[in-house]
Amino acid sequence: MAPTSCSLCRDAKAILKRPKTGQQICKDCFFFVFETEVHHTITEAELFKSGDRVAIGASGGKGKTTAVIWPDMLIVLMADSTVLAYVMKTLNDRYNYGLELFLLSIDEGITGYRDDSLETVKRNQQQYDMPLKILSYDELYGWTMDAIVEQIGKKNNCTFCGVFRRQALDRGANSLNVDHIVTGHNADDIAETVLMNIMRGDIARLGRCTLICTQGEDTIKRSKPFKYAYEKEIVMYAYFKKLDYFSTECIYSPDAYRGHARTFLKDLEAARPSAIIDIIHSGEAFEVKEEIKAAQKAQQTCKRCGYMSSNDLCKACTLLEGLERGMASSVITDRARKKMDAMGPTPENLRTIPLFRSTPTITVEMPSQS
Amino acid sequence: MKFRKALEPSVNASAGTSKRPRLKASGNLCLGFSGGLGSSILLDIVHNTYFSSRPPLDDSGKPRGGTNHPRNASVWPSCSVCYVEVCGAFAGMRDQTEDIRSVIQRYPSFDFVPLRIEDAFDDSWWTMVSGSSSIPQISLELGKEGLIADGLYVASRVTGLTPVEALRSYLSSLPTQTAISSAVQNLTRVLILYTAYSRGSSHLLFGTSLTSLSISLLSSISQGGGYAIHEELQEEWAPVTATGSRLSGALRVVRPLGDVTAKECAVYAWWSDIAVVGRDKQRRAILGIAGLTKDFVVGLEKDYPSTVSTIARTCEKLEPKDAPSGQCRLCQRPMQSGIQEWKGRISIRSFSDDKLAADLTHLPSSSRDSLDTNSTPSELPPSLALTNFLCYSCHTTLTSRSSRGLKRSVPDVSSAAPLPTWVADRGGGLNKVPEEEMHDIVAEFLIDN
Repeated sequence: MAPTSCSLCRDAKAILKRPKTGQQICKDCFFFVFETEVHHTITEAELFKSGDRVAIGASGGKGKTTAVIWPDMLIVLMADSTVLAYVMKTLNDRYNYGLELFLLSIDEGITGYRDDSLETVKRNQQQYDMPLKILSYDELYGWTMDAIVEQIGKKNNCTFCGVFRRQALDRGANSLNVDHIVTGHNADDIAETVLMNIMRGDIARLGRCTLICTQGEDTIKRSKPFKYAYEKEIVMYAYFKKLDYFSTECIYSPDAYRGHARTFLKDLEAARPSAIIDIIHSGEAFEVKEEIKAAQKAQQTCKRCGYMSSNDLCKACTLLEGLERGMASSVITDRARKKMDAMGPTPENLRTIPLFRSTPTITVEMPSQS
Repeated sequence: MKFRKALEPSVNASAGTSKRPRLKASGNLCLGFSGGLGSSILLDIVHNTYFSSRPPLDDSGKPRGGTNHPRNASVWPSCSVCYVEVCGAFAGMRDQTEDIRSVIQRYPSFDFVPLRIEDAFDDSWWTMVSGSSSIPQISLELGKEGLIADGLYVASRVTGLTPVEALRSYLSSLPTQTAISSAVQNLTRVLILYTAYSRGSSHLLFGTSLTSLSISLLSSISQGGGYAIHEELQEEWAPVTATGSRLSGALRVVRPLGDVTAKECAVYAWWSDIAVVGRDKQRRAILGIAGLTKDFVVGLEKDYPSTVSTIARTCEKLEPKDAPSGQCRLCQRPMQSGIQEWKGRISIRSFSDDKLAADLTHLPSSSRDSLDTNSTPSELPPSLALTNFLCYSCHTTLTSRSSRGLKRSVPDVSSAAPLPTWVADRGGGLNKVPEEEMHDIVAEFLIDN
């Protein structure tokens, strides 16, 4: 059978079938369309302006990590974030965005999962020639995920990790004095989140999960340049850029409900590959009714740490207090929080999270000039 | 109670000021009947609630106080039951029309209106429900794989197929099992809408249970139907003329069992001794995303029982972001603007787009030198393309391919894909607009001499 020619340039031999469009295209055209689509996502949404300081979140998944091996060195990062760093650097140079890029990584303190990877992240900063900042849960909260799981078990530990990671990224970015954090969330992640939020009735998150850029009152802007990029294409990009990759699951990730949603999404994608983008389109086409929005809690700041919150205490402070008082498993819901309040006032010597925007400056590691 | 609470607030044309207004619909009632559990129960409840009680008769055998007495007035003057037989779509499927007829005969107050899915391609059915004169059948061009071409260009040749041949040709040209399932569902829905409207109905009821509703909501979202999520719950529909204006007297589509779970329906049917015909198992096998969603929701319900009601309650809190730009020619639901621009922005499918000219300089020189940006087919005039007249979901149904290829069960009978008659009647701007209508549109800009 004669080789199929690329359906875009119509000259080179097609070597892959794009998961997103089903088109058979050549490698160069794939690189071009992948990068250009991300560029269009960035420019259409006017995500950045020249001179912006942007941190690339080198973490932020849902217990899923993909490790990537570059030709002669091992780099363990979320594959999405690794490709994001590469693509952001490429586009910044190509289109003269004028951005100052940083790498920001969070150490959750999971032995055998994150400790090895952080060593390679440090080597990675030289590869990208970007300053790197690593902030650990231990440093910020006084707890590692290992210690948290030791106290609460594996059930609900993703709640702690998710809440702590979000705030840690904001605080890490704050200490870097950046305007913007970009994360490697891809189209699959967003479609999955739309489904999850519908199934668990989380109207507040459903309203904002398809936004490309979110910004709390007091926090730094967060964007998802890979919003329309399929996970398979991100892996494909890493593969054709001569990166070997392998996957490993977080050892504490038994989020069964999200697991169901992810499996369902994969089934939908197998039935019709456009399902991922179709779900995102659905999520962008509707919004929460005005009367429902009006009934939602107003955003305020946490009375203890100053981070944005919809209650007197932010979720991270509530979870940390539960851990400190040995009642962590009872603070997942608002009702359980009230129960803990009823058991007595907060002890005065309780460990708390440093006040937001007043964290001491933490040294940023610069790539060596050698 | 759940049934009446869901239905009765939408019976009267306007809410009025009374706290307990007397129920009086502005037209007839139509029930969409599939033979399944929900619609069988709906039939029974509607009959028992609104049509079974006879007003007291006087000595002459007429209703005491006259037929206009408020006590004797029905909420709806009459009720018809529409059933769409889909065996024409699938070879080897049994015709269940007579089984359905025998069920409906138990309710003498109801008129049985049997339809066939191929009526969607039948000029005589269209003439009957729309009052329009006979129209030529129109078709979409097929690509080299026998699937509908991405541009959705209207083919020049008239196919001249029988309704069943046209239906099968249309279904076989669809690219995925999901698309076939979605098309059958849409054809059924629109056939019932037009039939109900033509019979002077003010209300159309479907027996969708809470479980089925949640499944259809999630399935619709998964197929890009988020903009019409409100219509999936409750809709007001009226045919749209060639000029885009809606005809008077909207049909309210209500799902009064939307608060009752499938299990509750099953218990009710068992206690009330309601016969359920059921649907052919063969149809179940081609459901695609709809079938996957059903399996997923039913499976999840075992471990997380609140999921079903949460999905429906969450979707009730949503509304479309922007005002509609019109009505989709195929599914007849509100259509969002800028769909093609959105699709073009998120995925590059051709290098011939002018907007890419600056970006193409970043292609490696080896690829750029051989690039022929004019090699893709030039676009036909807008009047011959259907793309801009379809909602996101329908456009995706016609064009989104499977990664595994289509398992064909029906041989091709044509090189073009015929379209339902309601698309042909307004097809892609091909219709000549009557002079009077044109005058109405431009009237305010005309100067009287």
